Amino acid sequence: MRTLSLKVNGDTVQAAAPSHWTLLEVLRYKLGLTGSKQGCDKGDCGACTVLVDGRPVLACLTLAGAVEEREVTTIEGLMPLHVKSGGDGPDPVQAAFDRCGALQCGFCQPGMMLSARALLNKNPCPTRAEIREALSGNLCRCTGYTQIFEAVELAVAESIGVAPAPRSWEAQRMDPSEAQAAAKRAAAHLAERRKQEGRE
Amino acid sequence: MAQDEKDPVATWPARENLKVLNHDLVRVDARAKVTGAARYTHDVRVPGMAYARLLLAPLPALKIKKLDLAPALKIPGVLGAVALETDRTRWLGEPIAAVAATTPERAEDGLRAILLEYEREPWAIDEAQATAPNAPKVRSNAPKVSTDGDQASAERACEGAAAVIEATYTVPVQHHVCLETHGVVVDYKGGDEATVWCSTQSTFGFTPDAAKELGLKASRVTGLVEYMGGGFGAKFGLGLEGQAACKLSKEIKRPVHLMMTRRDEFLAAGNRTGGKMRIKLAASQDGTLVGMVADRRRFGGIGNGSMAKFPYIYAVENAYSETLSVPMNLDSNRAMRAPGHPQAGFGMESALDELAYKLGVDPLEMRKRNLKDKVYHRQLERVAREIGWYEHPHRDKPGDPKAEKCIGIGFGVAVWGGGGGGGTECEVRIERDGSVSAAVGTQDLGTGSRTYVAAITAEELGLRLEDVTAHIGSTRLPSATGSGGSTTTGSLAPAVKVAAFNAARAFAARLAPVFGVDAARVQFAGGEVRDTQGAKPALSWKQACAMLPAEGLSARGEWTKDANKRLAASGIHGAQAARVEVDTQTGRVRVLDMIAMQDCGLPLNRLAVVSQVNGGMVQALSYALHEERNVDAALGVMLNSTMEGYKIAGSLEMPRMVTIIDDEDERGVIGVAEATCIPGHSAIANAVFNACGARVRDLPLTPDKVLFALGKVV
Repeated sequence: MRTLSLKVNGDTVQAAAPSHWTLLEVLRYKLGLTGSKQGCDKGDCGACTVLVDGRPVLACLTLAGAVEEREVTTIEGLMPLHVKSGGDGPDPVQAAFDRCGALQCGFCQPGMMLSARALLNKNPCPTRAEIREALSGNLCRCTGYTQIFEAVELAVAESIGVAPAPRSWEAQRMDPSEAQAAAKRAAAHLAERRKQEGRE
Repeated sequence: MAQDEKDPVATWPARENLKVLNHDLVRVDARAKVTGAARYTHDVRVPGMAYARLLLAPLPALKIKKLDLAPALKIPGVLGAVALETDRTRWLGEPIAAVAATTPERAEDGLRAILLEYEREPWAIDEAQATAPNAPKVRSNAPKVSTDGDQASAERACEGAAAVIEATYTVPVQHHVCLETHGVVVDYKGGDEATVWCSTQSTFGFTPDAAKELGLKASRVTGLVEYMGGGFGAKFGLGLEGQAACKLSKEIKRPVHLMMTRRDEFLAAGNRTGGKMRIKLAASQDGTLVGMVADRRRFGGIGNGSMAKFPYIYAVENAYSETLSVPMNLDSNRAMRAPGHPQAGFGMESALDELAYKLGVDPLEMRKRNLKDKVYHRQLERVAREIGWYEHPHRDKPGDPKAEKCIGIGFGVAVWGGGGGGGTECEVRIERDGSVSAAVGTQDLGTGSRTYVAAITAEELGLRLEDVTAHIGSTRLPSATGSGGSTTTGSLAPAVKVAAFNAARAFAARLAPVFGVDAARVQFAGGEVRDTQGAKPALSWKQACAMLPAEGLSARGEWTKDANKRLAASGIHGAQAARVEVDTQTGRVRVLDMIAMQDCGLPLNRLAVVSQVNGGMVQALSYALHEERNVDAALGVMLNSTMEGYKIAGSLEMPRMVTIIDDEDERGVIGVAEATCIPGHSAIANAVFNACGARVRDLPLTPDKVLFALGKVV
């Protein structure tokens, strides 16, 4: 047993735990931060994903002692940190997941959203392929992922200040040529932004 | 005066007049879920709580010689242990004992300290072992062959037909892989009452059993299902894990948290029946199915397994089938999203497809020819159009297998009931401050039931979704049935609708004297209370509610046959198309597009319906390409009891998915979840054949099988 000093969601917290405990064990069983989910305990499902210094990390495979002095962000911290940095309400990723119906049971979502947040931290205008890649370590059994991709794209479009491509459920109710044109416009905006960012 | 004018009844408004329902609704619990505030059973923490783990049978059949729990109790932190089976175990993973400790890790240490001595008994965990001449008797009640149809006439029909195919199709055992494993938290400290949280599909289903295990009156035990992380049919009842948690809690007089580990989940928390179907299918020259003879085996572990009846959906003039369960020393099958249907669908759709190509008939036309229900015709035509079938270069014969990359399209259809039943009741309360709640003890598996409980109430009272709070997931609330077989919507929606309707009528009666009009003229719309004839100025909802007494107003409604007739229906259809790319060098199949058209009566929340259908398609894609339980029959172990070894589809495997809600269906509400996972894998397998002529009759379509099948045609 040792006393760990962790920086979690902007707070410095102390927790007494065996040295071999994972970050997930400390979060869930010592700090009461149960938003990070326990799905497999071996790094397969991604439900425990948290951010360490802004990068996605599987908390079930990370020793808590290894992240002392580093900034750990869990799902509970996403909205408070967004507000603290001048934002209003939930992080744009959270708001987009909410609005796109990008969840059903919701158990995989904390990890999924932190992976998405990590992606947007390093690449504010990702393509669909880059989104798929970034979320490939997070398994979801309910939704079919499509609305999750669309949620991330919505967050991206709104950060650029443009309309997103019509979402899959909207497109079927639109005139096909209109839907295509809207998708094309959104793609052009993204391409332009990627060019500005030096990504194309 | 007509009867309905005297005594109005709850009905859905015309669809174009709906303000909340049939729209894209943001879930009322989405904020709780995206912020991590939603508390799942796994997340429940109670002061003084112990954590428990299960000791599972390490081999498929054991005679227990000695089970000594005392060494476990000497492990630091271990608080108690209970034996669950002391004589014999009959399936791999059957729980033998459980240990509670101060941490999950200590509980695992305790498990390792338990002294278990046993003798192996003969087992059968694959088909070869189970059907060998000297196969061990897996269970005392040996299954019998069941038959359906007349064999002689079916055989005769096949003999005289223009074309016949005969082949064997197999489907693997699939696992539910809910992201939250099974488990319970029992808050019992030795008194005469308890609270039990359970990750379950039935709030009221597990609570009486928990009370029994604890030796308490059911009325003294509160069952809670605040949020649950997926079920897909596997989570009904208290389960062996729940019984173990109650036993431990009763023994140590402390709250106990027992969530199964992922390995436990694969071994002892249910699965979808595997199986084998030997099918002879015959058609006349024009593609009409005239004869079918099938011999089917169900692999449901120690259970019976399930497989929907043949002929499946398609009409066959003369059909005969024999079905036999082949028990094995493995965990029993459980209900899994459309139990028995994806299996039967794969056999039927594949055989029909083979026959179409043999006859040189367009497989889409062949399907329509044998589908009597015209709803399927419009759905198939629509998905065919969306996926580009009519422009596809090879429709009645497969593409060239010598090409490096081959593109193909395939189809499948689905059927499900989805109607409701009695046992669900709801209470709607209107408070003096204008807030409204709808309360019913039902559970939300992620399907969005919590949201439509609020939405139906809001629609009825002319309010916005956010004006209504839904209270669900507790046995302290009005009764509700479990969520199985897509019956929740058909059971719950009418009860909520009637409760909201009754609340509106009661409120109208209170307001009538104030308004100075007859109650029948009081209308709730747009956040206002209006006189339908416009003679009186409208009141805001809040102003009207301020007239209520401190206790507000409440009204109840329940599911009745009569309400069901007006508000719900049953019997849904779905058609799906898949477009795939087959890499003929590696045998890899990539699904490029999946298109679904699905009817569901009145869609309560369009966004949630789309999500259900997308989710169903992906489970089918995953069943088509990745999922399979592997066992080593000689060693008696499961080889892939992890999410690394048992692959489910991830973001990189996702095709473009389009879900089209069939708005021509004008019936009342119908549950939609099951049907959506029935046709996808068949469509994918048929698309692989259409692409390159490789017919894989054994799911999943792994690269080795695709290459092997390609080897026969190149």
